[in-house]
This record gives sequence, structure tokens and C-alpha cells, in this order.
Amino acid sequence: MGIIEDVYIAVIDGKVDDAAAGVEQGLNTGIAVDDLLKKGLLAAMDLVGERFGEGDIFIPQVIWSAKAMQAGMDLLRPHFTEGQQAKSARIIIGTAEGDIHDIGKNLVGMMLEGAGFEVVDLGVGVKPEQFVEKAVEEKADIIGVSALLTTTMMSMAEVVKLKNEKGLSSLKVIVGGAPLSLDFCKEIGADAYGVDAMDAVVKVKELMGL
Amino acid sequence: MKTGVSNHCQPQFRILDDAQIERIHQAVLRILDEVGVRVNHPEATDLLAGHGARVMGDNLVQIPSPLVEDAIASAPSNLVIFNRNKTPVMDLGGRRIYFGTGTDLPKTVDLQTREIRDTRSDDIITSTIISDALPNIDFIGSYGLPRDVPAGLHYIRCFQMEAENSIKPIFFTAGSEEDLAVIWEMACAIAGGPEALSDHPFLISYNEPTSPLAHSKEALGKLMFCAQNRIPLNYAPALLAGSSGPVTLAGALVVAVAEALSGLVIHQLTRKGAPISTGVAATTMDMLEATVSYTSPEFRLTHSACADLFHHYGLPVWGTAGCSDSQYPDLQTGAEYGFTLLNAALDGANLIHDCGYLGQGFVASPELIIFADETIGMVKRYMRGFEIDSEHLALDVIKKVGPGGNFLQEKHTLDFFMQEHWQPGIFNRKNLPNWIKEGQKKTDDKLLEKAREILATHQPEPLAAEIKNELDMIFQYRNFKGD
Repeated sequence: MGIIEDVYIAVIDGKVDDAAAGVEQGLNTGIAVDDLLKKGLLAAMDLVGERFGEGDIFIPQVIWSAKAMQAGMDLLRPHFTEGQQAKSARIIIGTAEGDIHDIGKNLVGMMLEGAGFEVVDLGVGVKPEQFVEKAVEEKADIIGVSALLTTTMMSMAEVVKLKNEKGLSSLKVIVGGAPLSLDFCKEIGADAYGVDAMDAVVKVKELMGL
Repeated sequence: MKTGVSNHCQPQFRILDDAQIERIHQAVLRILDEVGVRVNHPEATDLLAGHGARVMGDNLVQIPSPLVEDAIASAPSNLVIFNRNKTPVMDLGGRRIYFGTGTDLPKTVDLQTREIRDTRSDDIITSTIISDALPNIDFIGSYGLPRDVPAGLHYIRCFQMEAENSIKPIFFTAGSEEDLAVIWEMACAIAGGPEALSDHPFLISYNEPTSPLAHSKEALGKLMFCAQNRIPLNYAPALLAGSSGPVTLAGALVVAVAEALSGLVIHQLTRKGAPISTGVAATTMDMLEATVSYTSPEFRLTHSACADLFHHYGLPVWGTAGCSDSQYPDLQTGAEYGFTLLNAALDGANLIHDCGYLGQGFVASPELIIFADETIGMVKRYMRGFEIDSEHLALDVIKKVGPGGNFLQEKHTLDFFMQEHWQPGIFNRKNLPNWIKEGQKKTDDKLLEKAREILATHQPEPLAAEIKNELDMIFQYRNFKGD
């Protein structure tokens, strides 16, 4: 239990090097990959999420726990079985065309990574066709579009329209940003709306049936 | 060339310059010397007369300036107040700010029914437990004046209930010198004798002269008792500009400070170096309603001027803030709490009382102590200022992140966010969807929730059973003896 506990604590404390060292040591001493993943990395992030939800810890601490978790994950990934690989999800994120606000989008990316998802960040001012093309190329499960400006909200509708036209029915679209609402999400036919970064993680998990 | 740039910046505030302080001080000295004050206590009159003051008949005593200057010089410039466990928790003096409730509110807004009713004994326990749990409440007053305890016993009962339900220092009222003696006996029982108590005082007697320019027999009896027994005393007048004092703020200040300093003279003549904090509350009488405003902007001006004067004297100074003239918790309460608390902190007043007050000193509403605590947290963060050394100027991380980057994931952010940013405990910062999702709670709702939570979960450190019994016996004896 010693090494798994070390990994668990390193992630909770946001100690990137300690988490990586723990996972490496675990792999070298023959601890099961599944235990390092579930009892170490993911269990720690569950507690971090819980504490954040209770207001006991704050965003920078969550980010550093996520970084520690990622460091461990990078070492574990080559050892994953297919089943372990499938339980994750790959998400394409970006700020909508015409908008360069990315603080919220970056935060969502970090939180998703922290929850164990793979994130491909396309940056800001992303055109609808770029979202869809990249999603196909990366075999992504979800596209996440963020907007702060009300004027750019309609390009979100375009993303949904485009992927529907291409018949990509298993590809989901999640939207978020300060001026949005659930009503708007429904209106444009998006699959989910995240109120904030933590909610985005919850919604992605729902979409993936996790 | 300028060298030695300070690494720390902090809000700084004063309203009187040195020449103005001198001008007001000279006016105070003239009033004491040429008009005098009424001293309605024979021992105090004799004491003053024995030190060169002129007794003019009808208890009027004129005090020559050297006596005043001597008292200012002999009174301690700082006052260390301990908690019930003999740990120092307040160092009154300088610009160090401490906050607490007040005493004697006869009405209470019931936490459950929200009706305004007479204050009861259980309200004293409620406000004490709430105050005990809050990080920014440094000292505890009875807050309420219980109507279900026989008159003449309620101050003693209040002290007993406060001492049993909190280890924080107690700011208390006593009805008479006899009352004070009983409370002192209780405090000695807790501390382990008079010597132990005067070495580690955990109580402050709240007492006041009568404006304009008079000291009652009761007030002086208590003042001298405190000096003799080295019980920390707060002796400060509450003057009403336009009725018990001149309508002009400068005139009101002169009269009130003359009252405070003449009290200081008697106190220091009784026992040199005895612990005292003083100052004045010189507020306005409302000329339409004939009520006492606890929050008028004029009061804030005299409050600031008073702090400047007493900082100049080098004496611990009393303050008033976190109170409202509104009869019920509302928007006015919020504005007045914020205004007065920020002002008192900027003034650098030391013993800032009346937090949680409503209704011009008549109405209690216990959840407002939590509101004051939250606001004090905000004010204290502001008063702390910020560092401007190289680590805080952050040039390295600015270079690293560069234009268009994001600082959120930087180690610098993780390392400093806790010390640099204040986090509210009650005030809302949720976005609209989350606020709606979580029940659209207003500050009022959250305060009541928090009050109930504290009362259900907070366990104050208990007083030893044998000491509790001793306090009961002291109370019963006093009850039996009557007045």
C-alpha cells in the first residue's frame, strides 16, 4: 500500500515530481497498473474534486493536483490495456471563432485532464470546420466550444450543424461560457452545457456514461 | 536620490495634522483648567484637591494642565489582554485593531421567528457561542441585556454566562461598584486569585462619564475600583453633538476629550500605571427624531480625530463600528457596517466595539455578529496592503508566461494566491447559473444558516466544574443578599 499511498498523497498535494516518481517506482516494483491508476491517481483526483466542491481547496490547488495526476498518467499510459484506454475520452476544445477569451476554456481543459481525460486544445478563434475536422482526425469523442462574447455564440450553432451534416452522430458537442444558458444549448442542439469548469467535467462524464 | 524603498505598502489614514492636534489639545486643557468638570465622588475630589486641582464648590473641580500631562505620561501606552486560559490575545495600543461586540441591547430579533422581542438570558449564551466561534471577533460583550433576570443581577449573570461559554476576553458592564466587586470576585475565581488576575487580565470594564463634563458617583466608584485592583478599564464618554455637547464637531470633540482625560487623571492618581483605554464617542443627535445616531458621518469624523489625538498621546484608544441605526437587518445595515468598520480600521482604533448592533444601540440580531466578522475579514485584508519586493513584482513569471499566456497554472500562482487574495466565507461570488442552482440564497439567508450551524456544532472550551460551582455560589450569595 505504501507506494500507492505515496502516489495518492502526491496528487492531493499537487507534487508533480513526487507523483511521477511514485508511479515509476510502482511500475518497477510490479504494482498492478490498474491499482496505480484507480487507487492512486483517480482516487486522489476524486477527493480533490470533492474538496473543491466543498470549498475547502481552490482552483490553483486543483490545477497542480491535475498536473501531478497527468505526470503519473503519462508514465502509466504505455502500460494500459485496451479496456483501460477505452474508459477515458478524448476531447477537442477551443474558443469559438471571433473570440480570443481563453481563461475559462483553459480552466475547463485543465479540469478535464485532471479527471483523467485526454484533451486536445485548438486554442482561440477556432473555425467550426476546424473543430469538426480535428475531431475526425483525432478520433475524438467530444467537442467542447467556449465563448465569452455574445457575438460569437452563433458559431457554436455552426459546429453542431456541421457535424450533423457529416453524420457524426456519436460525436458530442458540449458548450460553455459566461453568456450562455441551458436554453441556448438546447436551441442550437448541443448535447450538454457546462455552467463552470467543474460542471463541464460532470457533463463530460455523463456524456461518456461514466 | 531615494534609497531604501519599503517592500510593503499599506493604507494610511489620519485627518488631523500635528498643528491641529495641538490646537484641539490646548482647547481641552483650557476647558479643564478654566471650566472644570463635576466630580460627584468625595474620594475622587479629595484626590484631585490633594494634587493641586481647584475644588470650586458644588463638586466642580478645575484641573491644571500639568496634572493632565502627568496622567497621559503615566498611563500605559499598550495594554496586553489575555484570554481565560492566560494566553495573550490583544495588545491594545499603536494602530493594532481588535473587534468585538458591545453590551446591553434590550431587544433581540429572534433567530427562529425573526420577531423583535425582549432580550432573554439564552440570547446572551447564543451571542457568546457565536462570537466564540468567529475568527475576527476578538473580545466578547454581553451583546444583550436580559429582561428575565432580576434587575441588579443581570450584569453579574451576563458575565457568568459569557465566562462559561467562551475563553475570549470579556468586555463587561457593571451596574454599580458592588456589582463590579462581585464580577471581580468571579474573575478572580477563574484566574486563581487577584494577583493571577491582574497579571493575566481577561476582562475589560466598560464605564463612562456623563456628558457634558460630569463624572457620576457610580462611574467614579467603578473607575477607582478598577485602578486599585488593576482591572483593565475602558472609560470613554458618549456625547451627542447638539444636545449633551456643542453642535460643532470640533466643540463636541473638545468637551468629550476633556471628559475622557479628566477621568484618566482621577484613574492615574488612584494608581499610577493602572491599565486603561479611553477615547470618545462623539456622535450627533438626530434633529428630526431626537435619536442617537451610531453611524452618522459626523461620528466617523470625530472617531478619526479622536484616534489621531490618542495616537499622539500614546494611549490605547477605544472605537465603535459594525453597527447600524436600522431597526432590522437590511441594506442600510450593510452600508453602515461596511462604512464604519473600514473607517475604524483606517483610524487604527484599538478596542473596536458594538459589532453586531442594530437600532441605535437597542436591537440585537445575533446573525449580524457573523456579518460583522465577514466584513472585518474583508477590511483586515485591505488594511494588510501588499508586498512589492521582487518575488511579488513577479517579473520572472511575467516573462515566462508572456503576452497572451495564462498565469493560472503557474507555480507562482499556487504559491501566492492564499496570502494575496481574501476568500469570502459568506458573501456571494457564484455565477448566476450556480447561484440559481444552489437555491438563490441571499446574504441574510446564509447568515441565519451559519448562525444555526454554529449553535448546533460549536463547542466552546468548558470552564472547570469546580470553578462553575464557585461562580454559582457567588451569584447565589449576591442574589440572597440583594442590593
